[in-house]
Amino acid sequence: MRDYEIVYIFDSVLDRSVIDQKLERFNQLATGDAGGEVVAVEHWGKRQLAYPIKKHDNGYYVVVQFRTVADSLPEFERAIKLDEDVLRYLLVLSEGELPTPGSSVAEVSDRFNNDDDEEDDE
Amino acid sequence: MKRRRKPCHLCEAKIKVVDYKDEQLLGRFVTERGKIVPSRITGTCAPHQRELTRAIKRGRYLALLPYVEDYRR
Repeated sequence: MRDYEIVYIFDSVLDRSVIDQKLERFNQLATGDAGGEVVAVEHWGKRQLAYPIKKHDNGYYVVVQFRTVADSLPEFERAIKLDEDVLRYLLVLSEGELPTPGSSVAEVSDRFNNDDDEEDDE
Repeated sequence: MKRRRKPCHLCEAKIKVVDYKDEQLLGRFVTERGKIVPSRITGTCAPHQRELTRAIKRGRYLALLPYVEDYRR
């Protein structure tokens, strides 16, 4: 059993209900028979792509975190690849990221603004 | 003249895993053209720079970040 995280980019013209159906089917395949479980499902919704994918400028993003055995993954991925409504997906081992990043920018940008004056003294 | 080592922003902010979905954070470490800024400029420590690189590349694949911003000709 390992923790995985997958990000789907669906065609943004699909209805929410259609996407939910597909997700249900994918989740079923992902968790398999071996007692895996879905940990979190997060809909980011429609957003603009940084560059066109398959002639689409927008995509509907969904993040799913789940636990399962590695054996169920090949069939899972095959099903996703066959679905033309999934513009792209990324399946990775989860390292404890949040489904939606509570951006760490605030902390980092503070430093960026403060430290310019102390660079090349001594 | 000695240059003092710049502090690593990610260490100071105590970020353990660099999340490839955090496009705002990743955006701080790429140029306007979308290139990854070298750690010698940003002061990022080597372990964090490696994490960043991987995260940025994943972010690009998911179209959260551009491979090339605004390329003409």
